[in-house]
Amino acid sequence: MIPFLVRRLLGAVPIVLGIATIVFFVLSLAPGDAASFFVSPNITPEVLEQMRRNMGLDQPVHIRYLRWMGSMLRGDFGISFSRNQPVRDIIAEILPNTLILAFCAVVLAFAAGILIGVFQAVRQNRFSDSSLSVVGLFFYSMPSFWLALMLILIFSLSARNLWDWPIWFPVSGMTSVDYPFMGPMEQLRDRVMHLVLPSVSLALVLAAGIARYMRGSMLEVIRQDYIRTARSKGLSEASVIFKHALRNGLIPIITLLGLYLPFLFSGAVLIETVFAWPGMGRLLVDAIFQRDYPVVMAGTFIFAVMVVVGNLIADVLYALVDPRIRYD
Amino acid sequence: MNLAVLRTSILSALAWALAACGGGEPGQRSLTNLPEFCQEVLPRVDAYLSQFAQPTGERYGGTVVIGSIGEMPDGMNALVSSDYQSSQVQKFMHLMTLVDFDEELQPRPYLAESWEFDEENRELTFHLRDDVFWHDGTPTSAYDVEFTYVRITDPETAFPNAAFWSHYVQGPDGVAVLDSLTVRFSLAPHAEFLDPWRATAIMPRHLLEDVPSAELRQHPFGTRCPVGNGPFVFENHQIDASWSFVRNPAFPEGLGGPPFLDRQVYRIIPEQTTLLAELLTENIDFYIAPGPDQTPQIQEAEALELRSFPFPSYDLVGWNSRRPQLSDARVRQAITLATNREEIVQAIRQGYGEVANAGVPPFHWGFFEGIRDSLQYDPERAATILDEAGWVDRDGNGVRENSDGTPLEISIKYNLGNQQREDIALIMQAQLQPLGIAVTPQVVEWGTLLNQINTPEIRDFDGVVIGWVTEFRLDDHDLFHSEEVDQPFGWSGTQDLELDRLIDTLQTVVDREEAIPLWREYQYRLLEVQPYTYLYHIERLAGLNRRLQGVVLDARGEWMNIKDWWIPADLR
Repeated sequence: MIPFLVRRLLGAVPIVLGIATIVFFVLSLAPGDAASFFVSPNITPEVLEQMRRNMGLDQPVHIRYLRWMGSMLRGDFGISFSRNQPVRDIIAEILPNTLILAFCAVVLAFAAGILIGVFQAVRQNRFSDSSLSVVGLFFYSMPSFWLALMLILIFSLSARNLWDWPIWFPVSGMTSVDYPFMGPMEQLRDRVMHLVLPSVSLALVLAAGIARYMRGSMLEVIRQDYIRTARSKGLSEASVIFKHALRNGLIPIITLLGLYLPFLFSGAVLIETVFAWPGMGRLLVDAIFQRDYPVVMAGTFIFAVMVVVGNLIADVLYALVDPRIRYD
Repeated sequence: MNLAVLRTSILSALAWALAACGGGEPGQRSLTNLPEFCQEVLPRVDAYLSQFAQPTGERYGGTVVIGSIGEMPDGMNALVSSDYQSSQVQKFMHLMTLVDFDEELQPRPYLAESWEFDEENRELTFHLRDDVFWHDGTPTSAYDVEFTYVRITDPETAFPNAAFWSHYVQGPDGVAVLDSLTVRFSLAPHAEFLDPWRATAIMPRHLLEDVPSAELRQHPFGTRCPVGNGPFVFENHQIDASWSFVRNPAFPEGLGGPPFLDRQVYRIIPEQTTLLAELLTENIDFYIAPGPDQTPQIQEAEALELRSFPFPSYDLVGWNSRRPQLSDARVRQAITLATNREEIVQAIRQGYGEVANAGVPPFHWGFFEGIRDSLQYDPERAATILDEAGWVDRDGNGVRENSDGTPLEISIKYNLGNQQREDIALIMQAQLQPLGIAVTPQVVEWGTLLNQINTPEIRDFDGVVIGWVTEFRLDDHDLFHSEEVDQPFGWSGTQDLELDRLIDTLQTVVDREEAIPLWREYQYRLLEVQPYTYLYHIERLAGLNRRLQGVVLDARGEWMNIKDWWIPADLR
């Protein structure tokens, strides 16, 4: 397995560099640059030129590319034009926020999706199956930001103001304003409360898709001969489903994990915007609109790495789940 | 694979991750991950301020939470910042300006105790207060003012508002420190010469003098560890999330003493609906500039209050008079007459605005009452003017043409994501169509649009719906002067000798009383030339929680008297 992993990682390096190169040149084609947002009557063209010089934008594209590549390979991602801080510091502060949210969303989505999918497969064509399918389709089709706003409306706004529920969730943000003054247990509780609505919004859409795939996969597995053998051996139904069938049914789901992980790590920008979650999605989108190419490049680079890692994790999980698969 | 093991390891990883982000003692400043500069500076600030007792008294206490839709990217470094929120927070919360404005928009002392202007010798002398200290204990002196001025006028700093000082003698030659509290500037007498000192915060020399000008923008001082001398001290900045400030217990008694509020958190929430929800759940106390469509909900809520106040900003449709259809001033006047601007104010601003006919806001001392009702909606007169100008529907297709056969077709551009500007373009399309003018609204991404209108070689637009924020020192030189036709802001391409004369003269008249008749002429002339169709002056909105007391909001800005805001003890 190890030589396989090493080969895959080495093979990913040119891919990631190639992606970064393409993004760099495409971004440089966009009209306007980072300095053009400062244009105001109070600024003379000379000052603007000086700004460009200070940012290194006066160089031709290929020189800027080589400089960027050189410093990047040394670990220096440059300084953000729009935020005026080293890109490494910005990413170091913001990436964990996205990772926490992505992690919670993935755990929730897969747990819920797998359980619901199994349930639907076991109760195939009964009322519970069809109604869950309809509900699943509903959530699958809803735009995520609409779901997010609805969750805020129900579980934050109305819960507090209209219906006086004993528990209501904070509307947005990662932590409360008094977070620095709380004790550790309170801080943990504060973080969890702030995580609920954003991760549920993200997870609902994913879970619906996962449930669908899980249902289909389980239906196929349940028809296999070895399942009939297990039942005829006298094993409990729970043991048959969860111990024997589930493991085989999980294989397509692992593919989904490999697909969804990069999406989440790059940041679900709509959810982050609605919940004021300071994550990578918002950072990247803002940077693109402001032509802040150091941040765009660093973000794209990380995203590309995440895609590679996500696919690698999926492949490793295949090998773990299915003993027939062996890498050399 | 044992599912139980997997489950346990996932849960424990989750718990660890969450707890690890807890980090640090409650309330203490964390110095990890900060650059070296900040690790030296911040402990000095803490050490100095801890010597001062926090004030006691009925009104002292409480945290106010402000919700804003945008980040403050330039931070607290006044030498490089141009965005509105950053400069407001600098001027009124974290730093100090030499002078500020009273309710009549007259300059009054702040950091400067007094000043003299010697018109003959062209010298302006400021005398500073002696009781103002930077948050790390260093006294604020004339050397800080000198440092600020030299860096601002240094082209390498690329200070975005360098044109403020265009009539001052630039660089070190223009400033002299007479003693530690007295500083003198050399300048040519011009209108509102004190305004740059109202608009620009003074920066600490002792912390930034070793930083080369070209590196000022990216220095961590601005965004990681700013040190000011104003009523509030920087506490923390989480990127894209929040800025927090605490009371400065050493703020001089002579200026009213330390502020009542303990702490002030400026939260960044990039979605208007979320901002409203946070205001309604009383999680934020102040919602900066809610959309006009959100006002009913704010007004209905018992715990909340809606305020509206004048603001130096207006929306307009800028016309490119280089285009053949728009080169005749009569056509532009006709378009203005054919647009029901009162209806637009009602539809777009829900009435929170006033129809504008010039770039002079109604609260400004130069505003001329007489033009308030000019060019009122009159489609018949518009039709007559167009006929006279030679634009008639010659081929019966519903669109007017001139004698060359050029149809009166105009595209109006607006930027992506701005619903209000899109609506304005669509309304104008509908209102102008019966008049035989074919308007095509066109959406363009913001950065691209700026490029199209600001680049003299491109100027790819007929009309553009855009907003404009003015300073209190009004000067449309860059917009309408004929020498600006090939400069970025010469969007309209106006070349009118009369406007040139008025603009040039207004720049030099020092006395406001003398200037008023000129302002009147200027506004009349704008009516005749109609470079833009001015739409409306904006009335800015604010959503507040009623627990905030003592909040004064007017054209000077939201934070103008934040050191006097207080919260009753039972509502903290």
